[in-house]
Order: sequence, then structure tokens, then C-alpha cells
Amino acid sequence: MRILLIFVLAVMSSLLAAQPNCNAYKYSGDELKYTACKAAEKRGGHYQFSRAYQEALDEALAIDSTFAYAYRVKSTAYLKSGDFITWKKLMDKAVKYDPEGELFYRASCRYQFFRDYAGAIKDIELLDSLIDYDIGYSQNGDYHLNIIKALSYKAIGKPDESLQIFERQLSDSTHNVGIYDYLHLGVLYLEMGKFTLALRALKQQALENDIAENRYYMALVYKALGDEKRYLENIKLAKEKYENGVKMFDPYVEKMDQIFLIDIIDAMKTEGF
Amino acid sequence: MKRIAIIAIVLLAGCTQNDQDSKYLRWVGDAEFDPEMDASDFQLCGSEKLVQQYFHFGQGLQYEGEKTALCKRFKEAYRPVETAQSGWIRIRFIVNCQGQAGRYRMIGSDLDYQEQIFDERITDQLLKIAKSLDGWAVLSKDGKRRDYYQYLIFKINNGDLTDILP
Repeated sequence: MRILLIFVLAVMSSLLAAQPNCNAYKYSGDELKYTACKAAEKRGGHYQFSRAYQEALDEALAIDSTFAYAYRVKSTAYLKSGDFITWKKLMDKAVKYDPEGELFYRASCRYQFFRDYAGAIKDIELLDSLIDYDIGYSQNGDYHLNIIKALSYKAIGKPDESLQIFERQLSDSTHNVGIYDYLHLGVLYLEMGKFTLALRALKQQALENDIAENRYYMALVYKALGDEKRYLENIKLAKEKYENGVKMFDPYVEKMDQIFLIDIIDAMKTEGF
Repeated sequence: MKRIAIIAIVLLAGCTQNDQDSKYLRWVGDAEFDPEMDASDFQLCGSEKLVQQYFHFGQGLQYEGEKTALCKRFKEAYRPVETAQSGWIRIRFIVNCQGQAGRYRMIGSDLDYQEQIFDERITDQLLKIAKSLDGWAVLSKDGKRRDYYQYLIFKINNGDLTDILP
């Protein structure tokens, strides 16, 4: 149910992000932004990589060069084509003109598309310092930004900081559990040698979203604990789930802690019991 | 009939004019054939206008043996270079409907996303390994095999290859 709620929130937020209400600018007296917003609407029906889409946004930015939203939606095609230079230039402008509204996007894309962990942490901490309400979720809805911060700390070799952020965020009663939150927490505990806590988190992941990855890491924990029976059960289940497509997935990039079939096969081949 | 032909010519001329005036190609990131850079024996199967992006197929990066196999090729072949250069290098190319790759294009930046020309000992190695990859998947859409753009991003830390994306 919570996952469904997150999905709905993510879809709603992406729809909101996809199209601002131009009239809101008009009612607030910002006629320039209203005109720019109407020009940006001309991209409707065009693919975000296309000439027509990009030109509509150029027209909007020619009217109002401080229209942060237009920079962000213009940047997406560059992001998805891997052009980090142009993407960053556009997103820097979006953040310059609306840091509170645009930092979430720059932070989560730095994490997701470029593994720019230090940059993601910096952006999230900056956003946190600017607002006094919840900093919110990543642009694809997969993670709360604090979870991205925790994962980024782990990636730069600071597992203790990562764990602190994880535990604080997941114990927050207002936190909506993400589809991979407990998987990542379990892997972190496993890497820190805290096997009992790892198992608890991975079992929680199984309740939230039971995928090949949590079964694979559970198998590794059982192996570390010398429980061959449960190791075999879980590694087989991991393989089955993987082959049935029940696994982590991102259409654009490999995710942190994602596994591939060869990882499971190698684990099955490894002597140890 | 003549009138229809004249209208068609005017419309086509208008389209061509718009295309030429624009600073954009069909799509962001499109790589037109460049006889000075591109192998003449690399051919698209379909029209230039139909080349897709790898993520249009909803399967993520598709390589024989999955990403593990691709990373293994780089890990085994790449030799770290003694330099203080760090940042990202992207190599983008087209995979045709037979799984062959061509039209390689490269960009690089430092860790602040500022354009950076990397030591050739780094870029030459990466390009050579990328060109040797032979496991690209043939991807289909609407029952037809398609050509598609794929990219690889390499994270470089002091001349060492630390990560491969996407």
C-alpha cells in the first residue's frame, strides 16, 4: 500500500513537474513568466529530444531567461543522451533561478546518471539548508533525497555516516518507504558485518518488494552465518526471480546494489559449505 | 496536378529551410555521418530518422552477458595512466540492426562538469576497447529490428577507470 502511495505521488509529481500552470504566473502578476510559460507549452506533443521541443523552450527562455522550469525540461534530453556538460550548464541555470524548486532534480540526477556522489550530497545539503519542510523525493520517485544522501555517503566510503542517515530517515514516522530502501539498508549492514541487522532489513524488503536482489543478499548473509539450507533456498529463489524479471530495474542506468545473473551463478559455484 | 506539385515543392522547401535554419538536428545528440571520422562500411539498416535511443526499448543497456561482461572487457584491457586528470568521458555511438556499432563520438569533462580534453593515453584506450565490443544486442520495436544510440560513460580518477555507466 505504501509503495502504491509512493508510486501515485511520484506520478503526480512528475505530471506536475511536466506542466506548470501558466495562469499561476499571471495571477501572481508575473506577466513575463506567463508569456514564457505559454511559449514553452508549444513543445506539447513533441518528443523531448526533438528540434520542435527544444526550440519551444528556447523561445520561452528568450522571453524570460530566468524561467528555471524551462532550463530543467530542456536539460532532460541531454541528461538521457549522456551529455553531462550541456545538462549541467542548463541545470545550473535552473538552480540559480529557483534553487528551492530545482535542487531536487539536479541532486538526484547527479546520483542516478553520473554517480556524482559528492555533488549529490552537496546539493541535498544545500536544499535542506534552504527550506524548512520535507526535502522530498528523487525525480523518478524511487528514493527520498535523504536515502540518496545515505547511499552517496556509502559510495564515497563513509558507511557510518550513511547508516546514521538511513536509520534516522527510516525511523521517521512521516517517511514513505521506497521500493528499495530496506534492500540498500540490508546491504549496508551486510558490508559492515552486522549480519543479524542485515537479515532483519532484507526480510523487511521482502515484505515491501520481494526481488532477486534481496534474496541474493540474504543468501550471502546466510552463507556468512554458516546456514547452508537457508543459503541454498535464497540463492535459488534469487535466480528464479531474476529469470522471471522480478529484480531491480531502471530503464536508463544500473542501480546501486543491482545484481546480474552472473553474480548469482558465480555465488552458486563458489565453494563455502 | 501542376498546382499540387507546386504546393508540395513549396512545403518541402519550407521544411528544408526550417531544418537548415535550426541549430538542432532531428534529435539532441544525433551524430551525422562524417566521412573523415566514420567507417564507410558501417551502415544503418533503417533511415536516419528512425534511429532510436537505447532506453526506448525499456530494457536498459543490453549486452551479451549483461553489463558484467562489458565491464570485464574494460577492466581487463584498460591500463591506468599516470596523470592527475579526473572526470567523465562519454563515448556515444550507434548500434545497427545487426548489432554492429559505429559513428563513435566522445566528450569529456572534469569533476566540475567543465569540458576537458583528456590525455590521449586514456581516450585512445577507451575508444579502442569500445570499438572492440562485439556483444551489442539487436533490439526490436513494433516487430522490426532498429538502429539505436548507445552511450558509455567512464568515470576517471587520476587516470584510473573507476566506474562505467549507464
